[in-house]
Amino acid sequence: MSQARILIVDDEKEFAAALAERLCLRGYDATAMFSPEDAPALAKEIQPDVILLDLKLPGVSGIEMLMTMREFVPGVEIILLTGHMDLAQRIQGMRLDAFDYIMKPIQIADLIEKIEKAGRIRDRKE
Amino acid sequence: MILALIPSLFAYREMSTVRKRLKPVEIASDLTNVFIEVRRQEKNFLLLKDQDSLQQLRKQIGMLKGNIDDIEADIIGEIGSENYTALRQAIIEYERIVQQLADNFVLQHASLNELTRLGRDIEPQLSGDDLRTFLVLRRDEKNLIIYRDANAIERFRNVFTSLRSVNSPELTRYAAAAEKLYLLYYAEKSHDAEMRKYAADIQAFAESVLQGEREDIDNLLTTSMYLLLVSLITILATGIIINTRLARSIVRPIRVLEKFTQRVATGDFSDPPVIEGSNEIAALSTALNQMASRLKDTVHSLELAIRNLHDKQGQLVEAEKLASLGRIAAGVAHEINNPLAIINEKAGLMQDILQLSEDFPHKAKFLEQIDGIFNSINRCRTITHRLLGFARRVEVTIEPFELNEAIHETVTFLQNDIASKLVRIDLNLSGDLPEIRSDKIQMEQVFLNLIKNAVDAVAEGGIISISTSRSDDRFVLVSISDNGPGIPEEMIPHIFEPFFTTKERGKGTGLGLFVSHAILKKLGGKIQVQSEPGRGTTFLIDIPVRILPDKEASP
Repeated sequence: MSQARILIVDDEKEFAAALAERLCLRGYDATAMFSPEDAPALAKEIQPDVILLDLKLPGVSGIEMLMTMREFVPGVEIILLTGHMDLAQRIQGMRLDAFDYIMKPIQIADLIEKIEKAGRIRDRKE
Repeated sequence: MILALIPSLFAYREMSTVRKRLKPVEIASDLTNVFIEVRRQEKNFLLLKDQDSLQQLRKQIGMLKGNIDDIEADIIGEIGSENYTALRQAIIEYERIVQQLADNFVLQHASLNELTRLGRDIEPQLSGDDLRTFLVLRRDEKNLIIYRDANAIERFRNVFTSLRSVNSPELTRYAAAAEKLYLLYYAEKSHDAEMRKYAADIQAFAESVLQGEREDIDNLLTTSMYLLLVSLITILATGIIINTRLARSIVRPIRVLEKFTQRVATGDFSDPPVIEGSNEIAALSTALNQMASRLKDTVHSLELAIRNLHDKQGQLVEAEKLASLGRIAAGVAHEINNPLAIINEKAGLMQDILQLSEDFPHKAKFLEQIDGIFNSINRCRTITHRLLGFARRVEVTIEPFELNEAIHETVTFLQNDIASKLVRIDLNLSGDLPEIRSDKIQMEQVFLNLIKNAVDAVAEGGIISISTSRSDDRFVLVSISDNGPGIPEEMIPHIFEPFFTTKERGKGTGLGLFVSHAILKKLGGKIQVQSEPGRGTTFLIDIPVRILPDKEASP
């Protein structure tokens, strides 16, 4: 599953871009999406295996975005990204079957581990 | 009062005696008056020398005797029975002499008549020298009647001698009558003196009786006066005593109560007065004491309430301050976190690229710098994650655990730090602790922070004492003491604030105590510090046996 398609949705452009590049360097097909409005369409188009979703996006609630992504990309595993993890949001996210969460700043090794795990689970689902 | 009655009764008795004695005094006074009347009648009798005045005199003497009989006992009492007999005798003598005088006067009258008649008879019988001599004799006769003295009779006798030649029985009788008259005059004079003497005696007796009675009454009155004086003094003394006792039983207790109320007014409730007895003042005192006691309780509970309020207010202010600081810290942490994440990724990308690149000059140096950036990022991450995690929103997982075990685990966890610094850990853990139901991991975090702080605080070979005990049914107490340098007094109010540290820069985040405080607050516990510079620091942690929900911390 080293070729997993990954979509990063985070309005923090520099972060998302750098992370996408790093993941690409590690052999993933990572795309960064900075605009929450366009994210669902892009997700539908590329059909990622894993979405790294920032819960704090401008103009849209992280939870709504999560539900939209689930709708547009059936079976996708979603890892929540946050620097500011509200308990309520985390609980809600987990209820909505987010795969996991990871706090910024990210330890790249942790993230890779979670992505691999998520990919394996997704493989099993298929 | 009874004491005052006794002299009064005596005085009354004396006064009634005086009243009884007034009758004899009256009679004694009468006695004197009657006797004066006797003397007046006596004068009349001596002057008039007739039967009438004699009768008057006798009557008065009779009255005198009657008076004396009336107060015989008193008189005897006054002058003694001997003198009384003498008085009676004097009166009898007086009466006798009066009678003798009366007889004398009768005889004088007769002799005077005879003398005058004989003189008138003899005169015509004489003539010449005899007649002239006889006329001289008659003149001497008149002188005798007037002067009644020895000279007069002597002259009469001399003249009569020169008439011896005349032989006349009538003349002899005439001379005899003159002699007799003279004798009667003489007897009268001696009777008169005798009578005066007896009169004086009787008067003296009467006066002495009166005087005696007067003196008695005077004495009685004096005694009564003294008795009355004694009564008065006794009454005064009794009055003073009663006043004093009244003062003692009423005024003084009231004053004591008054002073007590004044003290109560200033908030001094000590030494409530005890007034014995069953009177109104004792009841008042009891009521006052009850009131004061209740007032004291009320004041005490008010003071307690105010102090609690102050404490609570202080705690609230403190909690509010820490909460605000927590919010600020969390906000800052959040804002820092995103750029930090970017730095992290950029540095990470740099590292990735470098690692994929072939060797070039300074490649190792670059990688070294990137490691340096990661180290700093990690430090920042620790800070922001702890702030964001503990200050705001870490779930509480409640599980039963043994407090002593949690402490043992924490100490074991810190074994490396403890051993490297040769710190001695004295554990004094109570065997009587209930099972705790709380968040074990977070509680261990607290112990870890505090023990770590203590290890950092003490010098090499320092001592850290950890003890546990049961406070009551609801709380257990953990005490963590070190013998380090202590916390300066001015720093104590700030030690629970975030980023407050006394450690060297970079060695501590200044979040350990802040986070520990926040955790304990969330778990319903409490943390307090006692520190003495130079002696060490003690943290006292109250942990609830059952977690108490903290409303503020709830999501």
